[in-house]
Amino acid sequence: MIAPAMETRALRRTLGSGENELEILHGLDVVIRPGEFCSIMGPSGSGKSTLMYLLGALDRPSSGQVLIDGIDTRSLSEAALADVRGRKIGFVFQFHYLMPEFSAAENVGLPMRKLGVPAKEARERAYELLGLLGLAGKEGRLPGRLSGGEQQRVAIARSLANRPLVVLGDEPTGNLDTKNGELVFALFERLVRQQGQTIVVVTHDPRLAARTDRVVRLQDGNVVDDGPAREVLARAGERS
Amino acid sequence: MRFLPLFQIARRHLLHSPFRTALSITGVAIGDCFMVLMSALMAGFEAKFVDETVESSPHVTVLDEFRDPPDEFADWLSEKEQGVVTVESAHPRERVYRIKKPYETLAAIESRPGVAAAALNVVGTSILNFGNREVGAALVGIDPDRQDRVVSTDTYMIEGRLADLHSASGAIVLGSGLAERLGVRRGDTIGASLRGSGEVGGREGTTRALRVVGVFKTGLVPVDAVRAYTLVSLAQQLLGLGRDVNRIVVRLDDHTQAQDVAADLEAMVGYRSESWQEQNKNFLSLFNIQTVITYVVTSGITIVAAFGILNVLIMLVLEKLPEIAMLKSMGYTAADVTVVFLLEGLAIGALGVVFGSIGGYWLQQALATFPIPMKGLIEIEHLIFVDPLRIYAVAATVSFASTVIAACLPALRAGRLDPVVTLRGRA
Repeated sequence: MIAPAMETRALRRTLGSGENELEILHGLDVVIRPGEFCSIMGPSGSGKSTLMYLLGALDRPSSGQVLIDGIDTRSLSEAALADVRGRKIGFVFQFHYLMPEFSAAENVGLPMRKLGVPAKEARERAYELLGLLGLAGKEGRLPGRLSGGEQQRVAIARSLANRPLVVLGDEPTGNLDTKNGELVFALFERLVRQQGQTIVVVTHDPRLAARTDRVVRLQDGNVVDDGPAREVLARAGERS
Repeated sequence: MRFLPLFQIARRHLLHSPFRTALSITGVAIGDCFMVLMSALMAGFEAKFVDETVESSPHVTVLDEFRDPPDEFADWLSEKEQGVVTVESAHPRERVYRIKKPYETLAAIESRPGVAAAALNVVGTSILNFGNREVGAALVGIDPDRQDRVVSTDTYMIEGRLADLHSASGAIVLGSGLAERLGVRRGDTIGASLRGSGEVGGREGTTRALRVVGVFKTGLVPVDAVRAYTLVSLAQQLLGLGRDVNRIVVRLDDHTQAQDVAADLEAMVGYRSESWQEQNKNFLSLFNIQTVITYVVTSGITIVAAFGILNVLIMLVLEKLPEIAMLKSMGYTAADVTVVFLLEGLAIGALGVVFGSIGGYWLQQALATFPIPMKGLIEIEHLIFVDPLRIYAVAATVSFASTVIAACLPALRAGRLDPVVTLRGRA
C-alpha cells in the first residue's frame, strides 16, 4: 500500500478562546495520496482555507495530527516546520504574491535559493519551469510587466521549484478570468497526468472541480462528502 | 550561502524605492555629518586653546605659597595651658610671600629630568594709566632671555621684541588687549601704580613712568587683556621684594606630563606648584561640558533620523505583508525575514555613516576657508577644526547603533508576522 502524501487525523482547529472560542474544523480525517488531483469544495466559512493552511504547515492544529510525507508536524519547531514547507509543499494562492522587485525567473528561484541551490542551477530550473508553463522569453520580466494569467503561471512555476510532494492551491483561479482560469487548471491537469504531481486545490467552481480526480466537500468544519469528483458533484447537484 | 538570498531580497527592497532609501540614508548622514562637524569644531577650539596656553604660558608654575598652609591659630592654641581663651578681632598676619633662596630652588628645578627650562618671575598687580584711562594689569617681572626659553613670548610680539625691555630703565611690554584698552602704542609712556602687600604696603600708590617698548598677542584673550612684562629688577624694586621672587616658571620637554612634574616639584621644593591644566582647569572643564552638550545635541539629531528609519521600515513591512507571508510559505523562517529587514537597516546605517563622514569632512574644509573672525576665550580669524579618527568613529558608532536599534523593531515585527493572518485578510 502506498503511503499517503498527506494525512489528517481527528484534526481540530479553533480560533479565539473562552466565550469567543470558535471551532472551525471538527476532527477531520483526510488522506491525500501521491499523484492525486484533489479539490476541496464548500461554502464560505466551511473551513476550506483553514484546512489548506494546516495541510501546508502554515498553521498548527488545536488538536489532532497533520502528517506530511509521514512526518507528524505537531512536534516540529518553527524552523523545522518552515523546512518542511520549503521541501515538501508548493503554494499557489488566489493572488500571485510575486516579489515586484524580482524578475519572473528570480521569483521562481527564491524557494530554491532558500534550500541552498546555487544561483546558476536555480536560474536554469526557473527557465525550464517557465518554459514548461508557456512563459519562455518572459523570464527576465518584472511581475508588473506580465498579465494576470502570466503572473499566476509564474506563481505556479515558483510552487514547483523545489519539486514539492504536494502543490496546494487556495482558490488559484479566483482572481483570473475564465480563460486564464481554464488555462491554469489545464496546467495542473498536465502536471498531474504527465509528471505525477500531487495537487490539492480549494475551489468554488464546480466546473473546475469536475476536472479533478477527487472532491472533498466541507460544510461547517466537517467533511460531508468525499469521493471521485463526478460522483460527489452529482450528489451535491441532487441535494441543491 | 544561506544568507545570500536574504542579502538579495534586502538589496532589491532598497533599490526598488530609491527615493525612500535615499531619504533614509540622508537622515542618517545628516546626523552623522553634524556630529562630526560639531565635535571637530569643539575639538578645534580646545586644541587651539591648549596649544596657545602651552606656548604662551609656563607648563608648571611654582608659587610663593603652600598648598596646605599651617593653621596658625590652632598652633598658637595648642601651646596654651588649659583654661578659657577669648579671641577678638582675629585676622591673618600681614606678610609678604616670597620664594626663599630662589637661585638654589631654580637650579634644583632645572636639574630635574624632563624640565627644559625655568625662569624666575616677579608677579604683581598694578593699575596702568594713560591719560585718564586706567586699566588693571597682571605685571610680570622677567629676564627676557630666560623667559623666552620658558614661554615663547617673542613669537607672539606684534610690535617690538621682548629683549627691548633692556632698552630703557622703565620699559614695559603690553598684551594687545591691554594696549588696546589703554589706547597706547609702542613708544608711548604710561604710568604704573604698583601694589605689593604686607610689608610693602607703605609703597602702595607709587607711580612709575614706564615706556611701552612692545606689544604681544597670544590669541588667548584672558592673557592678552591683562598681562604686561617688565624686567625682574624693576618689578622687585617696585614691589619691595629685594632680591626675592614670587614665581618660578617652568617649561617641560613634554607638556602632557605637567601634572606629574608639578606634583614632583611641589614635593621637592615645598611650594605650591601648579600645572598648566590646574591653572586653566575652569576653561578645560568648560570644554568638557561643551563636548558633552555637543554630543547630546547631535545625538538628538541622530535619534530623530533613527525615528525616520523606524517609520520608513514600518511602512515597508506593512507594504510587504503579502510577500512576507509568501516567503514564509516558501520555507523562509521568522529569523530569515527578520534578517532581511535588519540588513536593510544596516545598509541604510552604513551608507548614511559613510556619506555623513564624507559630508562632515567636506564641510569642515569648506567652513575653515571662510573668514569668520571671533573674539572670546580665544581670538581666531576663521573656524578651527580638529578631526582625529576618534571623532569619526564616535559619530559613526552613535549613528550606526541608533539606526540598527531603529531597524530592530520593524524587523522583529516582520519576523513574527503570522502568514495565515495575512493570507486570510487578503483572501
